[in-house]
Amino acid sequence: MANQPHDDPVYLHSRREALLILLLWGLSFFWTVPYCYLRGYQTLSNPEDLRLVWGMPAWVTWGVAVPWITCGILSILICLFVIRDDDLGHAGDEADSE
Amino acid sequence: MESFDLPLLAVRTSSAAVWTFLGYTVAVFVIAAMANRLLQGRHFLSEYFLGSRGLGVWAFALTFAATSASGGTFTGFPAKIYTHGWILALWIASYMVYPICTMGFLGKRINQVARKTGAITVPDVLRDRFDSRAFGLISTVLIIFFLGFNLVAQFKAGSVLLQTLLQDSTFFRVLRSGVEISMANASVFEGVNAGYLTCLLLFGIAVIFYTTYGGFHAVVWTDVMQGIVMVVGIIILLPLVLSQVGGMNQATHEMARMLPPRLGTATIVLPNAPTKAISTSDLWFRTVDQTEQVWLYRLSGTLTIPEGVQRVSEVKFVGIRTPEEIARQMQRFERPYAQERMETLKTQLIEAGVPTTRPDTAETNVATWPPTNEPALLIAELGEFHSYAQADQPGQYVMGPAPNLPSPEADVPASDAGFLPLGLAISFFFMWAISGTGQPQYMVRLMAFKDAKTLRSAIIAVTVYYGAIYFPLVIIFCYARILLPGMENEADKIMPALAVTVTENAGHGWLAGFLIAAPFAAVMSTVDSYLLVISSAVVRDVYQRNVDPDATEKTIKRLSYATTLIVGSVALAFAINPPRFLQDIIVYVGSGLAACFLVPVVAALYWPRANLLGCLGAMLGGFGMHLLMHLIGWQVYGEFTRPYDLFGFSPVIVGLGSSLIALIILTPLAPPPREELVRRYFCKGPSSLDDAVPPTAGESESS
Repeated sequence: MANQPHDDPVYLHSRREALLILLLWGLSFFWTVPYCYLRGYQTLSNPEDLRLVWGMPAWVTWGVAVPWITCGILSILICLFVIRDDDLGHAGDEADSE
Repeated sequence: MESFDLPLLAVRTSSAAVWTFLGYTVAVFVIAAMANRLLQGRHFLSEYFLGSRGLGVWAFALTFAATSASGGTFTGFPAKIYTHGWILALWIASYMVYPICTMGFLGKRINQVARKTGAITVPDVLRDRFDSRAFGLISTVLIIFFLGFNLVAQFKAGSVLLQTLLQDSTFFRVLRSGVEISMANASVFEGVNAGYLTCLLLFGIAVIFYTTYGGFHAVVWTDVMQGIVMVVGIIILLPLVLSQVGGMNQATHEMARMLPPRLGTATIVLPNAPTKAISTSDLWFRTVDQTEQVWLYRLSGTLTIPEGVQRVSEVKFVGIRTPEEIARQMQRFERPYAQERMETLKTQLIEAGVPTTRPDTAETNVATWPPTNEPALLIAELGEFHSYAQADQPGQYVMGPAPNLPSPEADVPASDAGFLPLGLAISFFFMWAISGTGQPQYMVRLMAFKDAKTLRSAIIAVTVYYGAIYFPLVIIFCYARILLPGMENEADKIMPALAVTVTENAGHGWLAGFLIAAPFAAVMSTVDSYLLVISSAVVRDVYQRNVDPDATEKTIKRLSYATTLIVGSVALAFAINPPRFLQDIIVYVGSGLAACFLVPVVAALYWPRANLLGCLGAMLGGFGMHLLMHLIGWQVYGEFTRPYDLFGFSPVIVGLGSSLIALIILTPLAPPPREELVRRYFCKGPSSLDDAVPPTAGESESS
């Protein structure tokens, strides 16, 4: 049989969405780990010098809390505008709904 | 066996706790009965193990979230936050992308592929994709191996938490006495704590029963209830903690001034031997040095002084070193609740014939109880105490690297590297989001949602849900250090201890029962899912696919019930003498499954060229390297659960890397998969069911 193009739309859309998700993971990784390492791994000469933002150490706020909120918003946007409502098929053994 | 007693849980909370437990149990049984009704008239296997692929948004979102949040979320994780401080925000940081990675990366595609062939388990998907019975069997064996381990660990967690919840109630004491009498005649139970066994039986029987009877829908609906309990628990706990530490600014600055405590042992000495046995916990001893500075030492765990015994040695203590913490703790001794507890123990000691004494306070290695100015009733002769590395450096709980616990058993200094060196921080960023994607027990849930729209909405729901649980947990248990100092030796119990403390302080002790239900719900929702994944592996992947493909629906039904019951009972039996390190086993299983399954499943779903040799090699390569790291760790450190970190990376990274290399090297060595297989999974066209592997008898009967 001749080679057919790999053109299943669920496969193509899922692959694109998976790559975007991988990109989002990369963004979160390259924001959080280097930032926290550079700003959070230090010795405090005086405890009163600790800089707080929103009541947390500043490195936690900018290195974890803010990217957490950002990634949350991006995740929601990806779900709303990127992930397609593809027809996933029918298995024959399934119920209509929950 | 370790003693699990935690009399810290006040008696006044016990009736609320019993009602919480009873209400909870009744609810899950009702759910199981409703789910069992759904089994009638539907394709049995698909309904029992996969809910007929019909999960809606909330059911799917909450079952996914609750299954992922295991006992570790409310025991091991809070213990780590308490021990190391704010650095745990980085440790858990990849949860910011966990929902979209674990659900979105594979979700739509694995759901579609499973529908194409009627697959109801992950080994089903792999076997059909590569048309290889051997691949299906190997993946089944790996799932049973890893999840079996984890099931035992989760049973232990469930029992420990339930004991914390119930132990002050009359209901529990009566049950425990019954179990104790039964155990007395059986040598197999030697050394087993009666309270632990009672709770193991209560918890285990409840979970096994509702899972066996109700199947997937029972598990999903109880997960929904449990998911709600968890988030409500956090929502109640957060404001209570924040109000009691004086707000975040003040509390974080206070943490910055904290010095790590010292850990050591002491010998408890009584002026004379008691005429009755005494058992107590949560005791503080004090010494006063020549400059009149008071130093406090908290007893770890439960102190039991048998009748007629005057000295008890090797009792673990934590010595507090921050003057501010000591002053605050001294104020707490004035509170009515603390006074009441002290009076109760004083009465017990006096009734047991123990007189008061005035020890020589010039001896700085002698600490006394009560920790106030009254004459002493108990004396602790302090032994050797170990300090953390850089013990006099403040700020360790708000910056990295955080302090590592010194080892009180061996004379080993704490590692200078501190907690969460960079390599481990990177490993954990992979560990949660990436390895979470590779867990077959979560993949099964991805095969159960109704349609793509359900998936999208569920990812949004879980993103919000996890944000509301995990980050607040870091805040709550960082500040638990302020509210409950000196719990380093029993940090696994910080969640129930904090729940009792903050609700007592707020004058709403009854709320503790509800808060303690949150971790209990987390364990229950994990155990039921694992149980079903293991039993589906046995029934579907071993029996129906390999032993008797023509088995009737009736046989499959009986076998499914029997297998779930037997698997649960065997795990329960192993949990009677469980492994010690719960969190280590959870990490071992999670990383091992990811090392085995992530690369082959991703290749199977997204790479048309992927073939049997490449994917099987990736699975075995990942498993082998992950195991090797643990075996080397066993040789080097003497513990299997303490792996060797190659180049500073945890075994999950090493396992995943090896798995990927094996895939890339081995795939070109074998021919591409057959054309019809590629067409079925990657090409547009008529439903692939038309040319799928013919259904087995059990399926065709009900279709």
